[in-house]
Amino acid sequence: MSYITGPEVVSYACTCGLIKPLPKLYFCRHCSQIRCSFCVCSEVDSIFCGKCSENIPSAEATMKKNRCANCLICPSCQQELSTRIASKGPANPTDAKSPIKKTYYLSCYFCRWNSRDVGIPDQPSATGGWPQRDNVHSHRLQDVVDSYKQIMLSQKHKKEHDKKKKIGKFVSYTDRTGVTASALRKKIGIPDTPHALLKKPKMPEPAVASNDVDELPEHLITTPLNLMDITTVEQRLLQPESQPLTVDKLFPVRKQLSIKKSLRCRCCERNVSKPEFNPSSVKFKIQLFAYFHIPEVRIVSLSPLVEGVPSELILKFTNPTQHQTTITLLNLDLAEQENYVKELTVSEVAECLEHSLSLQSKQPGSLTSISVGSGSQPSSLLSLTPRQPSITVKPRKIEQHVNCDVEMPEGAFVLPPRDDAAEYDESSDVHNVEHDPKHVVWRKSNKAFIKLLVVPNANLQANQDVVCGFSMEHIYTNILVATMENKQPQKSHHRVRIFFNLGKITRE
Amino acid sequence: MELENIYYNKHEYVETASGNKVCRQTVLCGSQNIILQGKVIIQADAIIRGDLANVKTGRYCIISKEAVLRPPYKKFSKGVAFFPLSIGDNVFIGEKTLINAAQIGSYVHIGKNCVIGRRCILRDCCVIEDNSVLAPETVVPPFSRYGGSPAAKPAK
Repeated sequence: MSYITGPEVVSYACTCGLIKPLPKLYFCRHCSQIRCSFCVCSEVDSIFCGKCSENIPSAEATMKKNRCANCLICPSCQQELSTRIASKGPANPTDAKSPIKKTYYLSCYFCRWNSRDVGIPDQPSATGGWPQRDNVHSHRLQDVVDSYKQIMLSQKHKKEHDKKKKIGKFVSYTDRTGVTASALRKKIGIPDTPHALLKKPKMPEPAVASNDVDELPEHLITTPLNLMDITTVEQRLLQPESQPLTVDKLFPVRKQLSIKKSLRCRCCERNVSKPEFNPSSVKFKIQLFAYFHIPEVRIVSLSPLVEGVPSELILKFTNPTQHQTTITLLNLDLAEQENYVKELTVSEVAECLEHSLSLQSKQPGSLTSISVGSGSQPSSLLSLTPRQPSITVKPRKIEQHVNCDVEMPEGAFVLPPRDDAAEYDESSDVHNVEHDPKHVVWRKSNKAFIKLLVVPNANLQANQDVVCGFSMEHIYTNILVATMENKQPQKSHHRVRIFFNLGKITRE
Repeated sequence: MELENIYYNKHEYVETASGNKVCRQTVLCGSQNIILQGKVIIQADAIIRGDLANVKTGRYCIISKEAVLRPPYKKFSKGVAFFPLSIGDNVFIGEKTLINAAQIGSYVHIGKNCVIGRRCILRDCCVIEDNSVLAPETVVPPFSRYGGSPAAKPAK
């Protein structure tokens, strides 16, 4: 909960160089790298209405212009409208036994707007059939949309046509000799008709600027203006097609639909997050959040900060995984990261050059490429190889200023695996973890409290935030490879840079 | 940031067999209609109107000081009827907040000084920011953050 309500004090550096708090990061198990919202691709997974919690197929959503067919919002305050019942007396007043006729109208419980104010007749059924208002410009818009669709289609055809020409097995002699279909037609005497695909799409009639402007209505000057009748900018922009000037022209608006996003790693194009289809479900089919893989670090306590004087910082490390991990704290070394980024860009340029050179020399369908494809590799491995990424993410320099030194503890410490049952069992905090270094203050189940000394720089200003950081190396157990190839879980060292905003310096 | 420990006076609270901690200074009307599933904390001066309709909370809920939980009503032609108020697990309700909702899902965080209007439905994993007013009969979808008056999704 401190992540929702509290300030962001502990942040992790993503592989791309951006700095984010842990719950906003993802961890791709296939690349074993941290990913943030900028190095994943977002896709629309499902479209739903937030009010009626109903899934809407994407084709239907496009048809309805991404608005719910049943739910309406208030044109005045943009809250959801409710249907209210109005009884209209018996249908047949002379017959006492005739049933009471019920009619329905829309009402906003927040601003008291209702559909009767603007003259929408009451409806006999509760579920709707509310009159749709036609857009005055709908014909013009349809014309423009149609012509653009035609342009799109003709360009698509052209592209396909060109492609066919290129890869065509049979060489058309007319192409070689310059005797084209149209030339032949001329020769024989048939009128030349342009090819159906190359026909120019019809453009809509251009809009005509008008010189005639209505005279300034006199009532604008003579009658006093009532500001309560005039709509606000938000109210006008909610209905872009009509943009009503006065409140008596406000009509209910269909509620906009919401989406569920699924996220894909940009490097290997595998999902890092995929929600369940049901709109009201909060579970995920795939959830590779960094919170479940990277040890979480929290600030527990901090003695007052004075520039140039060491103060005590106690951190809490939590192991979220089901595997034991060993944590080593290392110097931040931002210069090293910068060099790494530089090297990577240089090597990438070189690789690009090499790639383009090799492409030129390589014959299409050469022996080497065939032998790789049909080699002795098992088919399962072939499917494992990641697809070519559509967009590559380049790591960038970490732009975080650090003005406080951290005295690194020597040696590593062990974090036992997470045990969900341990929380209910108050006695079991003995995990037989040996060789506790002197920096470990206290530990319980999968958590350890570590004491560090931080020294703010001597030349710090009073209003400056004190920021420190270190690299954390932990052993990451990849069970993915193990389950796919029936091997032992693969253990690897994973390093992440963590930054702490320690607040301001205390002055006596 | 690790949350600090908050200590309480044992004499001021009553602990039930299932681990609910209820302050003695609360107003629980119609306590036979109030169900606390366990490990729920109800702080001082909170009011729960169990006399109107059933109030049911899940586990690990926190109802802060001076919060008011009142089951929603609906007007009918023959009068008013109250509907039960159900709250999921791990729900936090801030100080001086008035709850009139019909349903609150699990893992919901409601800030302080909020008004949750009549017959609102708050789905799982949503956040209502401090000082917001939720219009009656609003449905808050999961994973959304609402704030302001009238509460809406804040622009990013």
